[in-house]
Amino acid sequence: MQDRRRTLVISLPVALLVLVAVFPFLWMAVSAFKPLAQLYTIPPRWLPDPPTLVNFKTVLFESNIPRYFVNSLIISIGSTSLALIFAIFAAYGFARFDFRGRSAALAFVLIGQLLPTATVIVPLYIVLNYLGLINTYLGLILVYLILTLPLSVWMLTGYFRGIPKELEDAAIIDGASHLGVLFRISLPLVSPGIIAVALYSFVATWNEFVFALSFATEKEMKTLPIGLAEFSTEFDTDWGAVMAASFVMTLPIALIFLVMQRMFVSGLMSGATKG
Amino acid sequence: MTSRNISPGLWFILPTMLLLATLIIYPMLSTVELSLTDSSGAFAGMRNFNVAISAPSTRLILFNTAYYVIGSVVFQLLLGILAGILLNQQFAGRSVVRSLMLIPWVVPGIVAAMTWAWMFHTDYGIINYMLMQLGIISEPVGWLTDPDTVMPALIAVNAWKMFPFVAVMVLAGLQSVPDELYEAVRVDGASFWHEIWHIMLPQLQPVLVSVTLLLTIWALDGITIIYSITGGGPANRSMIFPIQIYVQAFEYFEFNRAAAMAVLYFLFIAVIIVLYMRMFAAQDKD
Repeated sequence: MQDRRRTLVISLPVALLVLVAVFPFLWMAVSAFKPLAQLYTIPPRWLPDPPTLVNFKTVLFESNIPRYFVNSLIISIGSTSLALIFAIFAAYGFARFDFRGRSAALAFVLIGQLLPTATVIVPLYIVLNYLGLINTYLGLILVYLILTLPLSVWMLTGYFRGIPKELEDAAIIDGASHLGVLFRISLPLVSPGIIAVALYSFVATWNEFVFALSFATEKEMKTLPIGLAEFSTEFDTDWGAVMAASFVMTLPIALIFLVMQRMFVSGLMSGATKG
Repeated sequence: MTSRNISPGLWFILPTMLLLATLIIYPMLSTVELSLTDSSGAFAGMRNFNVAISAPSTRLILFNTAYYVIGSVVFQLLLGILAGILLNQQFAGRSVVRSLMLIPWVVPGIVAAMTWAWMFHTDYGIINYMLMQLGIISEPVGWLTDPDTVMPALIAVNAWKMFPFVAVMVLAGLQSVPDELYEAVRVDGASFWHEIWHIMLPQLQPVLVSVTLLLTIWALDGITIIYSITGGGPANRSMIFPIQIYVQAFEYFEFNRAAAMAVLYFLFIAVIIVLYMRMFAAQDKD
Protein backbone atom coordinates (compact mmCIF):
# COMPACT_ATOMS: atom_id res chain seq x y z
CA MET A 1 0.00 0.00 0.00
CA GLN A 2 2.62 2.41 1.14
CA ASP A 3 4.63 1.62 -1.99
CA ARG A 4 1.73 2.14 -4.36
CA ARG A 5 0.94 5.53 -2.86
CA ARG A 6 4.57 6.53 -3.10
CA THR A 7 4.66 5.53 -6.77
CA LEU A 8 1.63 7.70 -7.48
CA VAL A 9 3.07 10.70 -5.68
CA ILE A 10 6.31 10.32 -7.56
CA SER A 11 4.97 9.71 -11.05
CA LEU A 12 3.85 13.30 -11.67
CA PRO A 13 7.26 14.94 -11.13
CA VAL A 14 8.91 12.07 -13.01
CA ALA A 15 6.59 12.63 -15.98
CA LEU A 16 7.39 16.34 -15.85
CA LEU A 17 11.12 15.66 -15.74
CA VAL A 18 10.94 13.32 -18.73
CA LEU A 19 8.87 15.88 -20.64
CA VAL A 20 11.38 18.68 -19.99
CA ALA A 21 14.37 16.52 -20.89
CA VAL A 22 12.94 14.91 -24.01
CA PHE A 23 10.57 17.44 -25.54
CA PRO A 24 13.07 19.73 -27.34
CA PHE A 25 14.79 16.69 -28.82
CA LEU A 26 11.48 15.27 -30.06
CA TRP A 27 10.41 18.64 -31.38
CA MET A 28 13.60 18.83 -33.42
CA ALA A 29 12.98 15.36 -34.88
CA VAL A 30 9.32 16.07 -35.61
CA SER A 31 10.10 19.44 -37.24
CA ALA A 32 12.73 17.84 -39.46
CA PHE A 33 10.03 15.70 -41.08
CA LYS A 34 7.51 18.51 -41.63
CA PRO A 35 6.92 20.19 -44.99
CA LEU A 36 7.27 23.95 -45.10
CA ALA A 37 3.56 24.66 -44.90
CA GLN A 38 3.23 22.66 -41.69
CA LEU A 39 6.21 24.32 -40.02
CA TYR A 40 4.77 27.80 -40.41
CA THR A 41 1.22 27.40 -39.20
CA ILE A 42 -0.74 28.66 -36.23
CA PRO A 43 -1.72 26.66 -34.29
CA PRO A 44 1.36 24.44 -34.78
CA ARG A 45 0.83 20.86 -35.87
CA TRP A 46 2.08 18.32 -33.39
CA LEU A 47 2.94 15.67 -35.96
CA PRO A 48 3.85 15.95 -39.63
CA ASP A 49 1.04 14.71 -41.85
CA PRO A 50 2.32 13.05 -43.91
CA PRO A 51 6.01 13.04 -42.88
CA THR A 52 8.29 14.26 -45.63
CA LEU A 53 11.97 13.85 -46.45
CA VAL A 54 12.10 17.15 -48.31
CA ASN A 55 14.20 18.85 -45.60
CA PHE A 56 16.71 16.03 -45.66
CA LYS A 57 16.87 16.30 -49.41
CA THR A 58 17.70 19.99 -49.07
CA VAL A 59 20.38 19.26 -46.49
CA LEU A 60 21.97 16.32 -48.29
CA PHE A 61 21.83 17.53 -51.88
CA GLU A 62 21.50 21.31 -51.89
CA SER A 63 23.72 22.42 -49.03
CA ASN A 64 27.32 22.11 -47.90
CA ILE A 65 26.35 19.94 -44.94
CA PRO A 66 27.69 16.66 -46.44
CA ARG A 67 31.07 18.31 -46.96
CA TYR A 68 31.01 19.69 -43.40
CA PHE A 69 30.07 16.23 -42.15
CA VAL A 70 33.16 14.72 -43.80
CA ASN A 71 35.35 17.58 -42.50
CA SER A 72 34.08 17.01 -38.97
CA LEU A 73 34.70 13.29 -39.31
CA ILE A 74 38.29 13.73 -40.51
CA ILE A 75 39.17 16.31 -37.87
CA SER A 76 37.51 14.47 -34.99
CA ILE A 77 39.05 11.10 -35.83
CA GLY A 78 42.45 12.68 -36.50
CA SER A 79 42.59 14.56 -33.24
CA THR A 80 41.18 11.68 -31.22
CA SER A 81 43.78 9.23 -32.56
CA LEU A 82 46.68 11.62 -32.15
CA ALA A 83 45.68 12.40 -28.58
CA LEU A 84 45.31 8.71 -27.79
CA ILE A 85 48.85 7.92 -28.95
CA PHE A 86 50.37 10.56 -26.68
CA ALA A 87 47.96 9.91 -23.83
CA ILE A 88 48.65 6.18 -23.57
CA PHE A 89 52.27 6.85 -22.65
CA ALA A 90 51.54 9.82 -20.42
CA ALA A 91 48.71 8.12 -18.55
CA TYR A 92 50.86 5.04 -17.97
CA GLY A 93 53.62 7.26 -16.63
CA PHE A 94 51.23 9.03 -14.27
CA ALA A 95 49.56 5.83 -13.11
CA ARG A 96 52.62 3.66 -12.52
CA PHE A 97 55.53 5.84 -11.50
CA ASP A 98 56.20 8.20 -8.68
CA PHE A 99 58.56 11.01 -9.53
CA ARG A 100 59.31 14.54 -8.57
CA GLY A 101 56.86 16.98 -10.15
CA ARG A 102 54.28 14.28 -10.82
CA SER A 103 51.39 15.98 -9.05
CA ALA A 104 52.31 19.37 -10.51
CA ALA A 105 52.25 17.86 -13.99
CA LEU A 106 48.89 16.21 -13.33
CA ALA A 107 47.53 19.50 -12.02
CA PHE A 108 48.68 21.15 -15.25
CA VAL A 109 46.79 18.54 -17.27
CA LEU A 110 43.66 19.28 -15.26
CA ILE A 111 44.09 23.02 -15.80
CA GLY A 112 44.39 22.36 -19.52
CA GLN A 113 41.10 20.53 -19.39
CA LEU A 114 39.34 23.35 -17.56
CA LEU A 115 40.79 26.26 -19.51
CA PRO A 116 38.15 28.16 -21.52
CA THR A 117 38.90 28.32 -25.21
CA ALA A 118 38.52 32.10 -25.44
CA THR A 119 41.70 32.61 -23.44
CA VAL A 120 43.96 31.19 -26.15
CA ILE A 121 42.22 31.82 -29.50
CA VAL A 122 44.11 35.00 -30.38
CA PRO A 123 47.70 33.70 -30.17
CA LEU A 124 46.67 30.32 -31.59
CA TYR A 125 45.31 32.13 -34.62
CA ILE A 126 48.57 34.03 -35.02
CA VAL A 127 50.68 30.86 -34.69
CA LEU A 128 48.48 28.86 -37.08
CA ASN A 129 48.52 31.73 -39.54
CA TYR A 130 52.32 31.93 -39.32
CA LEU A 131 52.58 28.18 -39.98
CA GLY A 132 50.06 28.36 -42.83
CA LEU A 133 47.68 26.07 -40.95
CA ILE A 134 44.56 28.24 -40.94
CA ASN A 135 41.85 26.45 -42.95
CA THR A 136 43.66 23.11 -42.94
CA TYR A 137 42.70 19.80 -41.41
CA LEU A 138 46.06 19.59 -39.67
CA GLY A 139 45.54 22.99 -38.03
CA LEU A 140 42.27 22.03 -36.41
CA ILE A 141 43.51 18.54 -35.52
CA LEU A 142 46.45 20.07 -33.64
CA VAL A 143 44.35 22.74 -31.95
CA TYR A 144 41.78 20.17 -30.87
CA LEU A 145 44.52 18.41 -28.92
CA ILE A 146 43.85 21.12 -26.33
CA LEU A 147 40.50 19.44 -25.79
CA THR A 148 41.32 15.80 -26.39
CA LEU A 149 44.76 15.39 -24.85
CA PRO A 150 44.10 16.48 -21.24
CA LEU A 151 40.82 14.59 -21.28
CA SER A 152 42.43 11.40 -22.60
CA VAL A 153 45.37 11.55 -20.18
CA TRP A 154 43.06 12.21 -17.27
CA MET A 155 40.62 9.40 -18.03
CA LEU A 156 43.25 6.83 -19.07
CA THR A 157 45.28 7.43 -15.91
CA GLY A 158 42.24 6.24 -13.98
CA TYR A 159 41.94 3.13 -16.11
CA PHE A 160 45.63 2.22 -15.77
CA ARG A 161 45.38 2.65 -12.01
CA GLY A 162 42.61 0.07 -12.00
CA ILE A 163 44.98 -2.71 -13.13
CA PRO A 164 46.56 -4.68 -10.29
CA LYS A 165 50.20 -3.73 -10.10
CA GLU A 166 51.19 -7.34 -9.25
CA LEU A 167 50.53 -8.38 -12.85
CA GLU A 168 53.14 -5.94 -14.09
CA ASP A 169 55.61 -6.64 -11.31
CA ALA A 170 55.66 -10.31 -12.24
CA ALA A 171 56.55 -9.42 -15.82
CA ILE A 172 59.26 -7.01 -14.70
CA ILE A 173 60.83 -9.74 -12.55
CA ASP A 174 60.82 -11.96 -15.63
CA GLY A 175 62.96 -9.32 -17.31
CA ALA A 176 60.42 -7.37 -19.38
CA SER A 177 61.05 -3.68 -20.03
CA HIS A 178 58.61 -0.96 -19.00
CA LEU A 179 57.56 -0.51 -22.61
CA GLY A 180 57.12 -4.25 -23.03
CA VAL A 181 54.91 -4.39 -19.97
CA LEU A 182 52.86 -1.45 -21.20
CA PHE A 183 52.19 -2.96 -24.61
CA ARG A 184 51.90 -6.65 -23.76
CA ILE A 185 50.14 -6.55 -20.41
CA SER A 186 48.60 -3.22 -19.45
CA LEU A 187 47.33 -1.97 -22.78
CA PRO A 188 45.22 -5.05 -23.59
CA LEU A 189 43.72 -4.84 -20.12
CA VAL A 190 42.63 -1.22 -20.50
CA SER A 191 41.17 -1.67 -24.00
CA PRO A 192 37.61 -0.93 -22.78
CA GLY A 193 39.03 2.27 -21.31
CA ILE A 194 40.70 3.14 -24.61
CA ILE A 195 37.38 2.77 -26.41
CA ALA A 196 35.63 4.97 -23.87
CA VAL A 197 38.30 7.67 -24.09
CA ALA A 198 38.27 7.57 -27.88
CA LEU A 199 34.50 7.96 -28.03
CA TYR A 200 34.59 10.73 -25.52
CA SER A 201 37.27 12.68 -27.40
CA PHE A 202 35.36 12.13 -30.60
CA VAL A 203 32.22 13.65 -29.12
CA ALA A 204 34.13 16.60 -27.66
CA THR A 205 35.68 17.49 -31.02
CA TRP A 206 32.53 16.73 -33.01
CA ASN A 207 30.64 19.31 -30.93
CA GLU A 208 33.37 21.95 -30.72
CA PHE A 209 32.34 25.40 -31.89
CA VAL A 210 34.71 28.22 -30.96
CA PHE A 211 37.99 26.95 -32.45
CA ALA A 212 36.19 25.83 -35.60
CA LEU A 213 34.59 29.25 -35.90
CA SER A 214 37.95 31.00 -35.56
CA PHE A 215 40.31 28.75 -37.51
CA ALA A 216 38.20 27.27 -40.33
CA THR A 217 36.71 30.16 -42.22
CA GLU A 218 36.73 28.86 -45.78
CA LYS A 219 33.75 27.04 -47.14
CA GLU A 220 35.76 23.91 -47.90
CA MET A 221 37.10 23.54 -44.36
CA LYS A 222 34.16 24.36 -42.11
CA THR A 223 32.83 21.78 -39.69
CA LEU A 224 29.26 20.73 -38.95
CA PRO A 225 28.57 23.00 -35.94
CA ILE A 226 29.56 26.05 -37.98
CA GLY A 227 27.51 24.88 -40.94
CA LEU A 228 24.53 24.51 -38.68
CA ALA A 229 24.94 27.97 -37.17
CA GLU A 230 25.26 29.46 -40.67
CA PHE A 231 21.91 28.10 -41.70
CA SER A 232 20.14 30.29 -39.20
CA THR A 233 22.15 33.46 -39.63
CA GLU A 234 21.00 33.72 -43.20
CA PHE A 235 18.19 36.19 -43.56
CA ASP A 236 15.44 33.77 -44.30
CA THR A 237 16.02 30.79 -42.05
CA ASP A 238 14.84 27.48 -43.45
CA TRP A 239 13.93 25.95 -40.10
CA GLY A 240 12.99 22.62 -41.60
CA ALA A 241 16.48 22.29 -43.07
CA VAL A 242 18.10 23.46 -39.82
CA MET A 243 16.22 20.78 -37.89
CA ALA A 244 17.08 18.13 -40.48
CA ALA A 245 20.77 19.11 -40.32
CA SER A 246 20.58 19.02 -36.51
CA PHE A 247 19.13 15.55 -36.78
CA VAL A 248 21.98 14.43 -39.06
CA MET A 249 24.58 15.91 -36.72
CA THR A 250 23.07 14.25 -33.65
CA LEU A 251 22.84 10.78 -35.22
CA PRO A 252 26.46 9.63 -34.67
CA ILE A 253 26.39 10.93 -31.10
CA ALA A 254 23.07 9.25 -30.40
CA LEU A 255 24.40 5.95 -31.75
CA ILE A 256 27.50 6.14 -29.57
CA PHE A 257 25.33 6.97 -26.60
CA LEU A 258 22.92 4.09 -27.19
CA VAL A 259 25.70 1.54 -27.46
CA MET A 260 27.95 2.89 -24.74
CA GLN A 261 25.67 4.50 -22.23
CA ARG A 262 27.57 3.24 -19.20
CA MET A 263 30.90 4.57 -20.42
CA PHE A 264 29.30 7.82 -21.40
CA VAL A 265 28.07 8.40 -17.90
CA SER A 266 31.43 7.58 -16.35
CA GLY A 267 32.98 10.06 -18.75
CA LEU A 268 30.42 12.65 -17.77
CA MET A 269 31.24 12.11 -14.13
CA SER A 270 34.94 12.54 -14.62
CA GLY A 271 33.98 16.11 -15.44
CA ALA A 272 35.31 15.82 -18.93
CA THR A 273 32.64 17.74 -20.80
CA LYS A 274 32.85 21.22 -22.17
CA GLY A 275 29.33 22.18 -23.12
CA MET B 1 63.93 9.23 -4.63
CA THR B 2 66.86 7.02 -3.85
CA SER B 3 68.88 7.48 -7.02
CA ARG B 4 69.53 10.60 -9.01
CA ASN B 5 68.58 8.88 -12.25
CA ILE B 6 65.63 10.24 -14.15
CA SER B 7 62.53 8.21 -13.38
CA PRO B 8 61.14 6.27 -16.37
CA GLY B 9 57.79 7.88 -15.53
CA LEU B 10 59.16 11.23 -16.66
CA TRP B 11 60.07 9.81 -20.06
CA PHE B 12 56.55 8.50 -20.44
CA ILE B 13 54.90 11.85 -19.75
CA LEU B 14 57.48 14.04 -21.49
CA PRO B 15 56.02 14.09 -25.06
CA THR B 16 52.55 14.95 -23.77
CA MET B 17 53.82 17.64 -21.44
CA LEU B 18 55.87 19.25 -24.22
CA LEU B 19 52.87 19.21 -26.52
CA LEU B 20 50.58 20.70 -23.89
CA ALA B 21 53.15 23.36 -23.06
CA THR B 22 53.27 24.32 -26.74
CA LEU B 23 49.50 24.37 -27.04
CA ILE B 24 48.68 26.07 -23.74
CA ILE B 25 51.62 27.77 -22.01
CA TYR B 26 53.09 29.31 -25.14
CA PRO B 27 49.77 30.84 -26.28
CA MET B 28 49.14 32.15 -22.80
CA LEU B 29 52.53 33.86 -22.57
CA SER B 30 51.98 35.15 -26.05
CA THR B 31 48.59 36.55 -25.01
CA VAL B 32 50.25 38.48 -22.20
CA GLU B 33 52.84 39.84 -24.62
CA LEU B 34 50.16 40.87 -27.12
CA SER B 35 48.17 42.57 -24.40
CA LEU B 36 51.14 44.78 -23.57
CA THR B 37 52.04 45.81 -27.12
CA ASP B 38 50.36 47.65 -29.97
CA SER B 39 49.65 46.34 -33.46
CA SER B 40 53.18 47.20 -34.62
CA GLY B 41 54.66 45.24 -31.72
CA ALA B 42 55.85 48.27 -29.73
CA PHE B 43 55.41 48.28 -25.97
CA ALA B 44 52.11 49.90 -25.07
CA GLY B 45 52.01 49.57 -21.30
CA MET B 46 48.49 49.29 -19.97
CA ARG B 47 46.90 51.11 -22.92
CA ASN B 48 45.06 48.05 -24.28
CA PHE B 49 43.69 47.32 -20.84
CA ASN B 50 42.55 50.90 -20.38
CA VAL B 51 40.82 50.96 -23.75
CA ALA B 52 39.14 47.61 -23.07
CA ILE B 53 37.96 48.60 -19.60
CA SER B 54 36.80 52.11 -20.47
CA ALA B 55 34.84 51.07 -23.57
CA PRO B 56 31.20 52.18 -23.16
CA SER B 57 29.89 48.65 -23.61
CA THR B 58 32.11 47.11 -20.92
CA ARG B 59 29.74 47.65 -18.01
CA LEU B 60 26.84 46.10 -19.85
CA ILE B 61 28.96 43.13 -20.93
CA LEU B 62 30.22 42.49 -17.41
CA PHE B 63 26.66 42.72 -16.10
CA ASN B 64 25.43 40.31 -18.80
CA THR B 65 28.23 37.86 -18.04
CA ALA B 66 27.43 37.84 -14.32
CA TYR B 67 23.70 37.57 -15.08
CA TYR B 68 24.23 34.64 -17.44
CA VAL B 69 26.67 32.77 -15.19
CA ILE B 70 24.72 33.19 -11.96
CA GLY B 71 21.37 32.51 -13.62
CA SER B 72 22.66 29.42 -15.39
CA VAL B 73 24.38 27.93 -12.34
CA VAL B 74 21.43 28.54 -10.02
CA PHE B 75 18.91 26.86 -12.32
CA GLN B 76 21.28 24.06 -13.29
CA LEU B 77 21.75 23.29 -9.59
CA LEU B 78 18.05 23.57 -8.72
CA LEU B 79 16.86 21.40 -11.57
CA GLY B 80 19.75 18.98 -11.22
CA ILE B 81 19.33 18.47 -7.46
CA LEU B 82 15.57 17.95 -7.85
CA ALA B 83 16.10 15.46 -10.66
CA GLY B 84 18.86 13.67 -8.78
CA ILE B 85 16.77 13.24 -5.63
CA LEU B 86 13.79 12.12 -7.71
CA LEU B 87 15.79 9.53 -9.60
CA ASN B 88 17.17 8.17 -6.34
CA GLN B 89 13.66 7.06 -5.32
CA GLN B 90 12.24 3.65 -6.12
CA PHE B 91 9.74 3.61 -8.98
CA ALA B 92 8.89 1.50 -11.98
CA GLY B 93 10.88 2.35 -15.12
CA ARG B 94 13.56 4.18 -13.19
CA SER B 95 16.48 3.10 -15.36
CA VAL B 96 14.68 4.20 -18.53
CA VAL B 97 13.96 7.59 -17.01
CA ARG B 98 17.61 7.91 -15.95
CA SER B 99 18.69 7.35 -19.56
CA LEU B 100 16.12 9.75 -21.02
CA MET B 101 17.19 12.45 -18.60
CA LEU B 102 20.67 12.41 -20.12
CA ILE B 103 19.40 13.51 -23.55
CA PRO B 104 19.96 17.25 -23.06
CA TRP B 105 23.56 16.64 -22.11
CA VAL B 106 24.18 14.19 -24.99
CA VAL B 107 22.74 16.44 -27.71
CA PRO B 108 25.50 18.62 -29.23
CA GLY B 109 25.48 22.19 -27.88
CA ILE B 110 24.91 23.74 -31.28
CA VAL B 111 21.96 21.42 -31.94
CA ALA B 112 20.43 22.34 -28.60
CA ALA B 113 20.91 26.01 -29.48
CA MET B 114 19.25 25.69 -32.89
CA THR B 115 16.37 23.63 -31.56
CA TRP B 116 15.61 26.10 -28.79
CA ALA B 117 15.92 29.02 -31.19
CA TRP B 118 13.19 27.38 -33.27
CA MET B 119 11.09 26.70 -30.18
CA PHE B 120 11.47 30.34 -29.10
CA HIS B 121 10.46 31.61 -32.56
CA THR B 122 8.13 34.58 -32.09
CA ASP B 123 5.48 33.67 -34.64
CA TYR B 124 5.72 29.93 -35.10
CA GLY B 125 7.53 28.81 -31.95
CA ILE B 126 5.95 26.10 -29.84
CA ILE B 127 6.76 27.91 -26.60
CA ASN B 128 4.68 30.98 -27.38
CA TYR B 129 1.87 28.71 -28.54
CA MET B 130 1.87 26.64 -25.36
CA LEU B 131 2.11 29.65 -23.06
CA MET B 132 -0.80 31.30 -24.88
CA GLN B 133 -2.87 28.14 -24.67
CA LEU B 134 -2.19 28.00 -20.93
CA GLY B 135 -3.20 31.64 -20.65
CA ILE B 136 0.19 32.67 -19.23
CA ILE B 137 0.78 35.23 -22.00
CA SER B 138 -1.84 36.93 -24.13
CA GLU B 139 0.24 37.71 -27.19
CA PRO B 140 3.45 36.26 -28.69
CA VAL B 141 6.68 37.26 -26.92
CA GLY B 142 9.80 37.93 -28.99
CA TRP B 143 11.94 35.91 -26.62
CA LEU B 144 15.19 36.31 -28.53
CA THR B 145 14.62 39.81 -29.88
CA ASP B 146 13.22 41.53 -26.81
CA PRO B 147 16.12 42.97 -24.73
CA ASP B 148 14.37 42.01 -21.49
CA THR B 149 13.68 38.36 -22.30
CA VAL B 150 16.77 37.39 -24.27
CA MET B 151 18.94 36.59 -21.24
CA PRO B 152 16.32 34.57 -19.37
CA ALA B 153 15.67 32.61 -22.57
CA LEU B 154 19.38 31.87 -23.06
CA ILE B 155 19.73 30.91 -19.40
CA ALA B 156 16.85 28.46 -19.84
CA VAL B 157 18.68 26.81 -22.73
CA ASN B 158 21.89 26.51 -20.73
CA ALA B 159 20.04 25.22 -17.65
CA TRP B 160 18.35 22.58 -19.78
CA LYS B 161 21.64 21.58 -21.39
CA MET B 162 23.64 21.03 -18.22
CA PHE B 163 21.20 19.98 -15.49
CA PRO B 164 21.70 16.26 -16.24
CA PHE B 165 25.34 16.63 -15.22
CA VAL B 166 24.28 17.91 -11.79
CA ALA B 167 21.63 15.20 -11.52
CA VAL B 168 24.13 12.42 -12.23
CA MET B 169 26.60 13.80 -9.69
CA VAL B 170 23.84 14.18 -7.09
CA LEU B 171 22.62 10.66 -7.79
CA ALA B 172 26.12 9.25 -7.32
CA GLY B 173 26.49 11.27 -4.12
CA LEU B 174 23.17 10.05 -2.73
CA GLN B 175 24.00 6.43 -3.42
CA SER B 176 26.93 6.68 -1.05
CA VAL B 177 24.76 7.95 1.83
CA PRO B 178 24.50 5.08 4.36
CA ASP B 179 20.98 3.72 4.87
CA GLU B 180 21.36 3.97 8.66
CA LEU B 181 21.16 7.75 8.41
CA TYR B 182 17.70 7.57 6.83
CA GLU B 183 16.53 4.82 9.17
CA ALA B 184 17.56 6.84 12.19
CA VAL B 185 15.30 9.77 11.30
CA ARG B 186 12.48 7.62 9.95
CA VAL B 187 12.15 6.01 13.37
CA ASP B 188 11.41 9.51 14.64
CA GLY B 189 8.76 9.89 11.94
CA ALA B 190 10.64 12.52 9.93
CA SER B 191 9.07 13.79 6.71
CA PHE B 192 10.61 13.49 3.26
CA TRP B 193 11.50 17.19 3.31
CA HIS B 194 13.26 16.66 6.59
CA GLU B 195 15.30 13.89 4.95
CA ILE B 196 16.23 16.16 2.07
CA TRP B 197 17.15 19.09 4.24
CA HIS B 198 18.93 17.35 7.12
CA ILE B 199 20.45 14.29 5.48
CA MET B 200 20.75 14.53 1.71
CA LEU B 201 21.90 18.12 1.26
CA PRO B 202 24.52 18.04 4.06
CA GLN B 203 25.88 14.76 2.70
CA LEU B 204 25.97 16.21 -0.81
CA GLN B 205 27.72 19.40 0.18
CA PRO B 206 31.26 18.55 -1.02
CA VAL B 207 29.91 17.25 -4.35
CA LEU B 208 27.78 20.34 -4.80
CA VAL B 209 30.65 22.72 -4.10
CA SER B 210 32.88 21.20 -6.76
CA VAL B 211 29.98 20.88 -9.20
CA THR B 212 29.18 24.57 -8.69
CA LEU B 213 32.75 25.56 -9.48
CA LEU B 214 32.73 23.43 -12.64
CA LEU B 215 29.39 24.84 -13.77
CA THR B 216 30.71 28.36 -13.22
CA ILE B 217 33.76 27.72 -15.40
CA TRP B 218 31.60 26.18 -18.13
CA ALA B 219 29.03 28.99 -18.03
CA LEU B 220 31.88 31.50 -18.34
CA ASP B 221 33.01 29.48 -21.37
CA GLY B 222 29.52 29.69 -22.84
CA ILE B 223 30.11 30.96 -26.34
CA THR B 224 28.36 28.25 -28.36
CA ILE B 225 24.78 28.74 -27.21
CA ILE B 226 24.72 32.53 -27.11
CA TYR B 227 26.79 33.22 -30.21
CA SER B 228 24.81 30.83 -32.39
CA ILE B 229 21.39 31.97 -31.17
CA THR B 230 21.74 35.75 -30.87
CA GLY B 231 25.35 36.62 -31.71
CA GLY B 232 25.27 38.80 -28.58
CA GLY B 233 22.26 40.85 -29.66
CA PRO B 234 19.87 42.55 -29.64
CA ALA B 235 22.07 45.64 -29.15
CA ASN B 236 24.63 43.78 -27.01
CA ARG B 237 21.97 42.73 -24.51
CA SER B 238 23.20 39.14 -24.57
CA MET B 239 26.88 39.92 -25.23
CA ILE B 240 29.12 38.19 -22.70
CA PHE B 241 32.83 38.60 -22.10
CA PRO B 242 34.26 35.59 -24.02
CA ILE B 243 32.17 36.43 -27.10
CA GLN B 244 33.44 39.99 -26.92
CA ILE B 245 37.00 38.61 -27.02
CA TYR B 246 36.13 36.68 -30.16
CA VAL B 247 34.40 39.67 -31.75
CA GLN B 248 37.28 42.06 -31.00
CA ALA B 249 39.77 39.60 -32.49
CA PHE B 250 37.98 38.16 -35.50
CA GLU B 251 35.44 40.80 -36.48
CA TYR B 252 37.36 44.00 -35.64
CA PHE B 253 40.87 42.48 -35.85
CA GLU B 254 41.87 44.30 -32.66
CA PHE B 255 44.18 41.47 -31.59
CA ASN B 256 45.95 43.44 -28.89
CA ARG B 257 42.78 44.63 -27.25
CA ALA B 258 41.33 41.11 -27.47
CA ALA B 259 44.50 39.80 -25.82
CA ALA B 260 44.16 42.30 -22.98
CA MET B 261 40.58 41.14 -22.45
CA ALA B 262 41.69 37.51 -22.56
CA VAL B 263 44.24 38.21 -19.82
CA LEU B 264 41.59 39.75 -17.57
CA TYR B 265 39.24 36.89 -18.35
CA PHE B 266 41.90 34.32 -17.54
CA LEU B 267 42.82 35.97 -14.23
CA PHE B 268 39.20 35.72 -13.13
CA ILE B 269 38.85 32.12 -14.23
CA ALA B 270 42.17 31.19 -12.64
CA VAL B 271 40.71 32.02 -9.22
CA ILE B 272 37.89 29.53 -9.77
CA ILE B 273 40.23 26.89 -11.17
CA VAL B 274 42.48 27.21 -8.11
CA LEU B 275 39.48 26.83 -5.78
CA TYR B 276 38.37 23.77 -7.72
CA MET B 277 41.81 22.16 -7.66
CA ARG B 278 42.00 22.68 -3.90
CA MET B 279 38.68 20.91 -3.47
CA PHE B 280 39.90 18.19 -5.76
CA ALA B 281 43.14 17.71 -3.81
CA ALA B 282 41.24 17.67 -0.50
CA GLN B 283 38.83 15.01 -1.78
CA ASP B 284 41.70 12.97 -3.18
CA LYS B 285 43.29 12.72 0.25
CA ASP B 286 40.15 11.34 1.92
